[in-house]
Amino acid sequence: MSGAPNAAVAVEALTLTLGAFRLDAIDLAVGAGEILVVLGPNGAGKSVTLETIAGFHRPDRGRVRIGGREVTALPPERRNIGFVVQSFGLFPHLTVEANVALGRRRPAGRHSAALPGGGEPNALLHYFGVAHLARRLPADLSPGEKQRVALARALAGAPELFLFDEPFSALDTETRTQLRGELKSFLRQLNIPAIFVTHDRADAHTLADRIVVLRQGRIVQTGTAAAVFARPADSAIARFVGVDNILDGRVAESLGAMANIAVGPRTLRAAASSAIAAGTPVRLAIRAEEVAIAGAAAGPELNRLDGTVTGLQPQGPLVSVAIDCGFALKAYVLTPQARVLAIGDAISVTIAPDAIHPMQS
Amino acid sequence: MMGGLELNAARQARGGGGDPSRPYGLYLVCWFLGSILVAFFTVPLIALTLSQSWTNFVGIARMADVRAAIGLSLEGALLSATLAAVIGVPLAYVLARTEFPGKGVVAALIDLPLAVPHTVAGIALLMVFGRQGVVGAPLQALTGLRFWGTLGGIVVAMLFVSAPYTVNAARIGFEAVDPRLEKIARTLGLGPWRTFWRITLPLARRGVLTGVTLTYARSISEFGAVVILVYYPMTAPVMIYELFLRFGLDQAAGTAVLLLAVSLALFLILRALARSAPERENR
Amino acid sequence: MRPTQWLRPVAAGSITAGLIAAALPALLTAQAAEPAVLTVFAAGTLAVPFKTINALFESQNAGVTVQAQYGGSVKMAKQITELHQDADILAVADYNVIPKYMFAAPAHASWYAGIARNAITFVYTDKSKFAGEIDAGNWYKVLARPGVEIGRSNPDTDPSGYQTVQMLDLAEKFYNAPGLEQGILANAPQKNMRDTETALISALQLGEIDYLAIYRSDALQRHLKFIDLPAKIDLSEPAQAASYKQGVAHTKNGDLTATPIVYAITTVNGSQNAALAENYVALVLSPPGQAVMKDNGFGDFHPAYAENVAAMPVDLQKLVRPWPGS
Repeated sequence: MSGAPNAAVAVEALTLTLGAFRLDAIDLAVGAGEILVVLGPNGAGKSVTLETIAGFHRPDRGRVRIGGREVTALPPERRNIGFVVQSFGLFPHLTVEANVALGRRRPAGRHSAALPGGGEPNALLHYFGVAHLARRLPADLSPGEKQRVALARALAGAPELFLFDEPFSALDTETRTQLRGELKSFLRQLNIPAIFVTHDRADAHTLADRIVVLRQGRIVQTGTAAAVFARPADSAIARFVGVDNILDGRVAESLGAMANIAVGPRTLRAAASSAIAAGTPVRLAIRAEEVAIAGAAAGPELNRLDGTVTGLQPQGPLVSVAIDCGFALKAYVLTPQARVLAIGDAISVTIAPDAIHPMQS
Repeated sequence: MMGGLELNAARQARGGGGDPSRPYGLYLVCWFLGSILVAFFTVPLIALTLSQSWTNFVGIARMADVRAAIGLSLEGALLSATLAAVIGVPLAYVLARTEFPGKGVVAALIDLPLAVPHTVAGIALLMVFGRQGVVGAPLQALTGLRFWGTLGGIVVAMLFVSAPYTVNAARIGFEAVDPRLEKIARTLGLGPWRTFWRITLPLARRGVLTGVTLTYARSISEFGAVVILVYYPMTAPVMIYELFLRFGLDQAAGTAVLLLAVSLALFLILRALARSAPERENR
Repeated sequence: MRPTQWLRPVAAGSITAGLIAAALPALLTAQAAEPAVLTVFAAGTLAVPFKTINALFESQNAGVTVQAQYGGSVKMAKQITELHQDADILAVADYNVIPKYMFAAPAHASWYAGIARNAITFVYTDKSKFAGEIDAGNWYKVLARPGVEIGRSNPDTDPSGYQTVQMLDLAEKFYNAPGLEQGILANAPQKNMRDTETALISALQLGEIDYLAIYRSDALQRHLKFIDLPAKIDLSEPAQAASYKQGVAHTKNGDLTATPIVYAITTVNGSQNAALAENYVALVLSPPGQAVMKDNGFGDFHPAYAENVAAMPVDLQKLVRPWPGS
């Protein structure tokens, strides 16, 4: 991480004390065109981290490099960044075109040649499809339009890094979904690194190339989106990324890359990233969507469990099925499939070994 | 005026429903109480105006020294308000944005001139700005600037009693500006000064203008502090007083009405200017 | 409820109740019958002696409170005639003020009696320019020197203002020094004027002005240095009234001829406390009252002259004699 020499943006050992709050040795790296999502609960220090990278807090220790330059000692206006906040922060007293024009730096940033229209405000408005709103005031815009104007404005300065501080938190789910998709496609086209801060895992799902999980000022896990969601480092992270099944068990047998874990009366075969000694207590994370309803096939499959349906909970296109198979388990089925199920029915499920993730705690 | 309940009833009579969420009863009570205050202001002023015969009023408006006194008051108040803006608005900004030890004391100090009896304020200012004063003496020696019997003295007295209004209103104006907007402006490449000038100040414009208008108004009416430093040349309140002594209530009241008419016109203009500031900041 | 939950409303309620209870007596007694109040409007320069006289009057008349208001003589008169404020007694620094403003219909007063004399003089401090040098012989030359700042009250609105100018006119003739008046007035321009001389005392003490034209009584009361001017010009001798007439002040109200400085008093017509007002005038004219005036630097006024004696209450008529030469 911290040594990645080709990272477009690198944050090394950033440490900061702000009143009672403390950021502890934060390391981040973002590649060109990559979206890094900083995920964490409220109060974890996400905004403070972002603001420190932007230059609004002076770290006690650590360095920030943007586009190969060391910017730790520079004020925000010299760091070449774009900053988008909740409700998008458009200047209410200026028209859309005045807002965007304000972002244009003089002299123009060194990357502006690569921007649509060379970064000229009108060209940017056209690029984002909001040229027809040029004379409007921000109060008259929809959230989607505001996002585009905010992006156009941030882009006008040819930034080398985009920072997003929970821009969607005040919006309803449908608008959010729409804006997330648009944002992702814009950022892909622009190929500028971005750090996106959120507490919403749906944001992380859609946008993240890589995720950093922050808790109480510390990084507790980093990895690709897929890795963090499937293999959270501890049960708190697991709950946060929406793992529904967190089971307590004990290693019955270590088989190198696999392990037999005793969970209640059952034994499950799990894929372990490294050998775990027999007898070690572990916690297993199993995503509900990985619990497959088994057909009445013959022959033992790995991790086949028989149990009873104890609950059926409709959740939009899915139905969450609660199962008792010696311990409580949750599975998802599509709504049509749930129609044949009833509480009390016998049911069998299988779980692939690499969908069972042992955690330390 | 038609009360809200009657509007509601009228609406229902037309077949539409009244808006059940609008607190008509509450508005009614507020209007009732408020109209007492409005009457309290306007009735004496109207009585004063009506006590004037038109010929008397015109006669007074013709007096050159009356017009000169009103002009001097307006000029002094304008300088006072300008000075209050130049040194008061920056103070309001730091009070709004920064924390520092003794901040509470400074804020209380700003309010203090409002509680000082005007004559006392005048004497204190004379102590400092008089020809033997700690500020007045060196200023006079270096620049020839004097405050006894001059426009400078008028402005100093006006400023002392009226500057707090600028600071307090501007401070509220600045506090209402979202600091995140300032942060965003910085990331866009605007340094702190440009951010203040292009983002913070325009967004705080309403509060600042309100404060400056109050300062202006208060400056026009100041008598007690001004008269200690400056009797001649006469400001309007001093002229009104002199007319009362030399002639009587009629002339004094007439001059007062003329002053009120001119002031009212000016305030309407200033309010219109303040209103054209963005009204939709808070949507 | 937990104790802390009801504490706040109870505290707020008690404080409110307490404030109302404290205010009630004041509100109620405003309606009830009150002890008699005698309202006295007087010239500013009478403030100090009248404080003593008022205390004396209150001690002699149990249950009576004297409420006195002080200001320029003309201002106090106009508060009665123009603003219709209620007063029982009016005392002025120049006896001419009473007939001029109070006798005109509807007559607010019908007579006046002289209560004290005074003299115009100049006061100064150690800080004043040429303070060590000035005396009764050279004052008119010193005051005319360039750079000397002299304060005075507005001759258009205040007695001591026009009396100062009249005195300078007389001085010019007395010393046979043409240009004396102009020369001294050049050092007392408009910027050094105020509506009453007492407002300028602060300026003198702060060194903004060097000399102040004011009454001798003020000089003595405030322990300020003053110049002993000849009686022939300082308007202090009623006997010199004829020669004073040569002194003229040109004001916005016309040309005013000098008269001796005589403080006068009257009762206001239609006052609710006519009997008390009479007693008050009697006290001022009596030996104890006159002693107070003398102690405070005023010239005594024996025998007391009065104008329109016939219009005075009978008991007061005994105390006065008709004004000579009127």
